[in-house]
Amino acid sequence: MSPRRYGSFAGGIDLPDEKLGTLDEPIRAPVRLERLRIPLPGRSLAEVRLSVRPGQYVSAGQLLASPAGAGGLAVHAPYAGKAGGLCVVQTAGSDGFAPSAALELLEPADPPALHALSPVFDWRAADRATLLARIAEGAVPLHDGRGGSLSRFVERAQQANCHTLVANALESQPYLTADHRLLVEHGADVIRGLAILARAIGAREVILAADRRRTGEYRELVGPARMYQIARVALPHKYPVGAANVLVKVLTGREVPPGGSALGLGVAVVDPATCFAAYRWTACGVAPSARVVTLAGERLKIRGNFWVPVGASVAELTGGTDGPVLHGGPMTGLRCPPDAVVTAATGALLAINAAQAAPSTPCIRCGWCTDHCPARLNVAVLNDVFELGLVQRARRMGVAACVECGVCSYVCPSRLPLSQRVRQLRRAVTDLNDAMPLFAES
Amino acid sequence: MPDPTTDILPDATSPERFSAFAAPFLRAPEGARTVFLVTACACAGPLAAGVALFGWRALAVTALSVLSCAAIEKAYYRVTRAPAMLGRSHACLTGLLLAMTLPAFVPWYVPIIAATFAILVGKAVFGGVGHFLWQPALVGRLAVAVLFPATVMNPSAWPLLAQNKAIFGDVAQAKRPAVYRQWRGTPAPQGADAFALPHPTTELSPLTRGAEPAYSGLVFPGDWPRAKPTALAALPPIGEMLYGARPGGIGETCIILILVAGLYLVYRNYVKWQLPLAMLAGAWAVAAVAPIQLAGPNNTVETVWWPLLGQHLAGRLDPDLCVQVGFTYVNYQLLGGELFLAAFFLAPEMTTRPVTTGGQVLFALGCGVLGMLLQLYFETPIPFYLAVLAMNTAVPTIDALWRPRVLGARRFAFFRRA
Ligand code: SF4
Ligand code: SF4
Repeated sequence: MSPRRYGSFAGGIDLPDEKLGTLDEPIRAPVRLERLRIPLPGRSLAEVRLSVRPGQYVSAGQLLASPAGAGGLAVHAPYAGKAGGLCVVQTAGSDGFAPSAALELLEPADPPALHALSPVFDWRAADRATLLARIAEGAVPLHDGRGGSLSRFVERAQQANCHTLVANALESQPYLTADHRLLVEHGADVIRGLAILARAIGAREVILAADRRRTGEYRELVGPARMYQIARVALPHKYPVGAANVLVKVLTGREVPPGGSALGLGVAVVDPATCFAAYRWTACGVAPSARVVTLAGERLKIRGNFWVPVGASVAELTGGTDGPVLHGGPMTGLRCPPDAVVTAATGALLAINAAQAAPSTPCIRCGWCTDHCPARLNVAVLNDVFELGLVQRARRMGVAACVECGVCSYVCPSRLPLSQRVRQLRRAVTDLNDAMPLFAES
Repeated sequence: MPDPTTDILPDATSPERFSAFAAPFLRAPEGARTVFLVTACACAGPLAAGVALFGWRALAVTALSVLSCAAIEKAYYRVTRAPAMLGRSHACLTGLLLAMTLPAFVPWYVPIIAATFAILVGKAVFGGVGHFLWQPALVGRLAVAVLFPATVMNPSAWPLLAQNKAIFGDVAQAKRPAVYRQWRGTPAPQGADAFALPHPTTELSPLTRGAEPAYSGLVFPGDWPRAKPTALAALPPIGEMLYGARPGGIGETCIILILVAGLYLVYRNYVKWQLPLAMLAGAWAVAAVAPIQLAGPNNTVETVWWPLLGQHLAGRLDPDLCVQVGFTYVNYQLLGGELFLAAFFLAPEMTTRPVTTGGQVLFALGCGVLGMLLQLYFETPIPFYLAVLAMNTAVPTIDALWRPRVLGARRFAFFRRA
């Protein structure tokens, strides 16, 4: 990758690089799973149209269910198997785990490995509208934990006249290696997916941002990236450079207003897994039903990067390890409930020896949280504000700018749950703005 | 009027609200107790120098101060049954800091009373670690400065062990030496272990607040009318000011070790380098500008602004040497008092300084300027400690007013009221 000038950001922290366990593990098929529980679109069964009957045998890629109304995404069978009954699982959303209806898939076939596919659709010849329609047809979800569908995202980006599309391959948290492996093994497909999205959105500038320490392994991407005129940017790994708002600041020098979205600045941020899924559907016609998941952590016997079907049970994948399993990165992830399943948002499942929840002590006002906050929030004062419950004050301090990186909790020597408190203040401010819009003006 | 919008937060301690959001699952290794203990270890440097220069009494004062801080803290929490969060390690640190500010010759009850004030008034009434407004050690130091007669806490002659009696001598056995040029190589006076010397700031005080000027200049140039002595000749050589062979508090004098320990704290990120630097710079600037009074010929009084430039010497010395003399004078003003200890150990006390870097610079400039003005023009025993305490009072205001621009917010958004 060729160097390019980039900015930096205030705050942040160097996290220990704990990726080595799985960094060089190629993407493999997981162990044979007993059953899959594939989450269905929509909160209630009235919103779903099932395409299969219980007991019916389905083949890989077959449509299982589609949303009855607008919103929600159709789901496809990752493997051949036998449709079972309905059950309830927990799926991760941007707001924590939530229960969701799911369709059982019994006696699934042996999980296939991840193979490159041959294209069946010439996306280079297609125009924007055709591409968008095709993306919408394939029901590709966003893979970065924001939830929602890719086609909706592309539409919004189109409406916002996005001029820049950024692929965020930074994976700045420890343990996460799924995107890295995807770039190493299927990087050309990711690049093509990025080019497809850029075309659909109409972005003039396309950037692939990656970790400076890994660029040596991405050399093979230089050719494809040149071909589609994608700029390659290597960034130092100061955490949280991978947070979307921080990345936008670093790459473009412009800051997303508190509570706003990068789309407002004309910048769209996607992750490599989404690009990969977009390519596989748009060009090769394979509906997304699996993703690369990193299984890592000291308490796991089988570690590595796996091509895991959506609906695989977390407990089964982690071999029934006791103790908490984390969904996502160790800095921003969630603790999995017992009946959690893998969804498109699952980048990693970690069974690390999480920091003991030491009892928190009073804030000693060391100021480290404030120093390291990438949003330059005065977190120490926000903590006081939280303890006093002053939501208005928090709003005026710009709490909506928090990027939820968890750095403040990480550094706090008093072990205060700062990022959770800031998150709650943020939510309270959002609720307040929704409930009383006139207050938001002052 | 109560704000109608403040009550919508859920109960902060409700467990199921937090259960899924336990992130981050990694924590930096440094806990608050580590912070206190490492700072306490850093105190050991200047304290060791104090023990060498002021003998076993320095050690006794330190031990008394630390033990009584810890005991009072423990007793307080036993009586009030409050959970002692981080109490003990912080009490030990407070005891050490307090001992560093005390002179070694004080009677045994002084450290105990100072510790009582430090823990009870400085800390406990505010609610313990993390909540106090004034640096507790300084509260204790101020209390004994006020309670005890000036002869106990601020005598006209302070003892300093002679070189041949270092470490094992007794500072209470002090005699005024007939001639004292420098500490190195000067044997102890007959029948005593220590020299009784005036405090360096006392030596310099006639320059700025004497009834009438006692010095005719800072140094003697060649053909100077030697009507009166000169200021810098009365003081020990600059090297001794640096390694601490001068009267003062136990941990105040050894500038070199204070710097080493302070830079270690800076390296550990417990102290931001901006804070001590701003405090020293503020004090330095005031000393460089603030006028001094010299005795001119025929009993006239000369007021000289910008002593840094040594203008009263102009015409008698070449200009480079004038600035050198002025520079030395300014440095003596900085080195002679308790400024360095305050800048590296007492002002950066985490709880009593602002949180943001900008706020800290503001705070430290205030401490430096105010402290130097007090030292120059007011008859106060502990000018820089008083300045730190005064600026501590302003910290909540500074924290509320000085707000960095939040990511994506409009510039100057901090002008809007909070
Ligand atoms: S990091 Fe923790 S102890 Fe330090 S100022 Fe922030 S909240 Fe207080
Ligand atoms: S306040 Fe938000 S943005 Fe700032 S460090 Fe904490 S989690 Fe990160």
